[in-house]
Amino acid sequence: MTGTRRRVLLGALGLAGLGGVAAFRAVAASRGLAIRTRAGLAFGTTVALTGAGPDPTAIEAALTDGFAAMRSVETAASLFRADSALARLNRDGGLTAPDPHLVALLRFALTLAAETGGAFDPTVQPLWPLWSGAAARGERPDAERLRTTLTRIGWRRVRLESDRILLEPGTALTLNALIQGYAADHVMAALRAHGIADAFVDTGEFGALGAHPDGTPWRLGLADPRDPATLADVIAPFTGFAATSGDYNMRFSDDRADHHIFDPATGHSPGGLSSVTVTAPTGLLADGLSTACMVLGRERGARLVAAHPGCAVRFTDKA
Amino acid sequence: MRGQVFPERAHPSPQPSPARERARVAALKRHCLDLVARGGGSETRAWPLCLALLALLLAILPAQAGQLDRAAIEKNFPPPLVVGEKDAALPIWPILKQQAGAYEVFAYAFESVDLAPIPGFGGTPPDLLIALAPDGTFRDVKVITHREPVFLEGLGSEPLFAFVEQYAGLSAKQAIRVGRPNARAAGAAPQTTVDGISMATASTRVINQSILASALAVARGKLGFGAGNVGLTVRAKPDLYEPLSLPDLLARGWVKRLTVTNADATAAFKGTGTEASGDGPPDAILTDLYVAYLNAPTIGRNLLGQARFDALMRELGPDNHAVMVLSAGPVDAPENPVGERFVLGAVPDRLAIGQGGLIVGARDMAVERRDAGQAEGLPAGNWTILRIDQAAGFDPSAPWALTETIVRERGQILSEKIARTFSVETALPEDLFTRVKPEDGPSWTDPWRARAPELAALAVMLAVLVPVLARQRGLVADQRRFTAFRLAFLAVTLGFVGWYGQAQLSIVTLVGLVRAATATHDFTFLLYDPPSLVLWAFALAALVAWGRGTFCGWLCPFGALQEFVALLGRPLRIRQVTVPPGLDRALRHVKYVLLAGILVAAAVGSPLADSLSEAEPFKTAITLYFVRSWPFVAYAAGLLVLNLFVYKGFCRYLCPLGASLALLGQVRILDWIPRRAECGSPCQLCKVRCRYGAIAPSGRVDYAECFQCMDCVTIIHDPAQCVPQVLARKRQRRTTPRSVVVA
Repeated sequence: MTGTRRRVLLGALGLAGLGGVAAFRAVAASRGLAIRTRAGLAFGTTVALTGAGPDPTAIEAALTDGFAAMRSVETAASLFRADSALARLNRDGGLTAPDPHLVALLRFALTLAAETGGAFDPTVQPLWPLWSGAAARGERPDAERLRTTLTRIGWRRVRLESDRILLEPGTALTLNALIQGYAADHVMAALRAHGIADAFVDTGEFGALGAHPDGTPWRLGLADPRDPATLADVIAPFTGFAATSGDYNMRFSDDRADHHIFDPATGHSPGGLSSVTVTAPTGLLADGLSTACMVLGRERGARLVAAHPGCAVRFTDKA
Repeated sequence: MRGQVFPERAHPSPQPSPARERARVAALKRHCLDLVARGGGSETRAWPLCLALLALLLAILPAQAGQLDRAAIEKNFPPPLVVGEKDAALPIWPILKQQAGAYEVFAYAFESVDLAPIPGFGGTPPDLLIALAPDGTFRDVKVITHREPVFLEGLGSEPLFAFVEQYAGLSAKQAIRVGRPNARAAGAAPQTTVDGISMATASTRVINQSILASALAVARGKLGFGAGNVGLTVRAKPDLYEPLSLPDLLARGWVKRLTVTNADATAAFKGTGTEASGDGPPDAILTDLYVAYLNAPTIGRNLLGQARFDALMRELGPDNHAVMVLSAGPVDAPENPVGERFVLGAVPDRLAIGQGGLIVGARDMAVERRDAGQAEGLPAGNWTILRIDQAAGFDPSAPWALTETIVRERGQILSEKIARTFSVETALPEDLFTRVKPEDGPSWTDPWRARAPELAALAVMLAVLVPVLARQRGLVADQRRFTAFRLAFLAVTLGFVGWYGQAQLSIVTLVGLVRAATATHDFTFLLYDPPSLVLWAFALAALVAWGRGTFCGWLCPFGALQEFVALLGRPLRIRQVTVPPGLDRALRHVKYVLLAGILVAAAVGSPLADSLSEAEPFKTAITLYFVRSWPFVAYAAGLLVLNLFVYKGFCRYLCPLGASLALLGQVRILDWIPRRAECGSPCQLCKVRCRYGAIAPSGRVDYAECFQCMDCVTIIHDPAQCVPQVLARKRQRRTTPRSVVVA
């Protein structure tokens, strides 16, 4: 998957870029704190974990565990890994003794699907090959095939039992809308377990803990969806988790009418919004709500977010 | 030396692969050779020791895998680049670059040995650090370790380092070939050719394979390409021509027509508010395009005419593709994709060629328009000839599509552009084309053509040699002139066949044959060394007639070298050491044991075959001109010194190639050395004069040990030397000499 990754700018690291890493390190060091960043690839995009604390070895150990946490989430539920438990579930239509990560993600997904009346739906996966195949030919999928594909979609076609998952024939799941936020939760937990009090994680979605080691709060810059090089907004101070869904990341048409977020009812991408950013106490919730809001639209989305304490949402309309 | 089969995607596995297994013995093998070299004349005792040592070390050495840790990778990709966490699935380090606060992938760095451990010339896979950009371009290639003898013990590693530097900037999406040295300067395509290194052909091919195969594995895993057309070259058969008219071509579907009418456009733009902007009746034609793949002569030549077709193909260059699009619709229509807004020499904005869902880069060739008469029945209209570079991976033998974009504007002030596309697919029959897979490497005919002069000279040599050897009463009988001939011939064998032509036959070829028979089933490697193959063919034919001696005595460059060394040593008055007959017989068997060891090792896939083959000093003395690390040089020189005391001791006691020829020589049909009743009893002259010990006291000739030096034949035909004849003459010519019996 080579689409431009979501361009939410890291305010904190943006500052580092401005001031020069050295100057920034110096400030941190003067407060007796070391800062370490480790980057890598996960979930089909680049990820980066930053931790600060008095003991560099402890930070390194924490970051190693953070990456391990990400890898274990990938192994459970990444569609970028052909050998993940989710990929096997899609292939076989059923899975016994499923990975706990997969169960947790799916349970959340089905709950959110019920809550949103199916606006959020983890079973939209069959739409993906249909649209990407058509886009590769420079077309849109034909109406007939879209209609038959839609008959295979519906969150009630998934049975999540205590020790197994069953899919009705033709059903396939995607948890891409949740996995990065969920991973942010687990990475953060791994860092906390090492006693890290100040951290900033980018797993594709974002999480922040404590403050920047230079003493200033973490800031999260939000890119303008139509001009990713400029900041449309800045969340400061930023703690907790934030997730953004938008029409610009993986898109099938140049006018951004068709992209990677599908309305499960129509099989097309929802119109109206260009991007949605949700801040929430967990990455999983932020990620799920932001995707649901893209489909629900401004009013119904705002009502959904309002029903969840500690959450806030920002909408950007389609230009 | 030969094509290696490598797994499609080799993951490092706890089980040692055969390649790893081979890798383990590298250091050890060299140690072994050192032993041999130091052993000088006492190799026979060193070998069993080596074998035992090898077996022992094979069992205890750990397997080799990628060797760079994070710190080493960071040294190669310093800040501002960031070395990411190692990939979870493949042994790849993402190299990231910070861009506006987020990270972007700069390259994927990996070690070739983790993904494509292809054994090198010495059996150990080279290890290269490769950085592949997300678009499939090589950012950098560096040598981490290698055990290629030609560099380690000859040229030094610098040429190898320079060799791999050539890959930076090339794309892994295309096949890259190792050309001759200076191939690029000589006009080879710089995107697909790297300059080779003379004397290191085999090693550079292995390095090239390692780079391409490991890059391909990464491309498949990370970049989403690598499955289909990578490196595939599809050429239209240039001599396949059939005169056809345009209607014939259209009927066959070899030329396609894409017609868009007002009605078509209205349907396509339905719901956009611009459906009604076309003028005229529904069936009025907006655009009418003829689409033709020109490289196939049956299409291109018929459409353009012979002269213009030839000129176009010359301009196009090999392996690139040309597609003609002619617009026969209304010239002034805004929809016309080659209308007045068409830019010559540019990538057209309204036409695209696609294949397998991907757009193929195509650019107008800016061919001279004047007098470009579309003579052969093409309709009038503007046209473009689009050039598709070979590197684009376009496969004209698979279906491809031409897509035309029609753009309409909605609104007056802030107008919005709405585009709709119309396509036509062309599917040409596969038999119009030849497909060349990159794994095939260069065609085997190339070296035959390139080395034609050498082959001709070789043929002349053999044509001279055969009658001389066959006519025993001719030149052979004249000792003085025959000796001169022999020395001259051996000089040519050493200088031309050996040092210049690099056609020293070697046991390595037999090892390759055994490996091909047991493992790869690919014997084509023989075709890439024409002079050697010719010599092999001749040596085998001569075996049937005369035995091993024809090759060993006349065509082996190292044999010739020994003969000259012995000749030059003559003023030193070195006395030949007489090997006691019992020991002599025992030593003669050593070469068979060695041969058996090599062939068995090769058959079971053991790298020991390569190590044991180093008992042959040919590579050191002939291939590398003694420019090699000192143990090898000492060994080869030692054999030459030994030769001063024990004439051709190497040939008689050690040479595994000679042993194989001697065994094959059992099929010999001629007992061509004349014998007399007196030979052996009582006369021992020939037996004593034979420097190879190939004549038994009984007078019987041991053809397996005969080097066809013709000394005894000269004697027997010389009434002044052949003792029985001398005696007979002394008996006052009362008895006439008995005729010589030739079987």
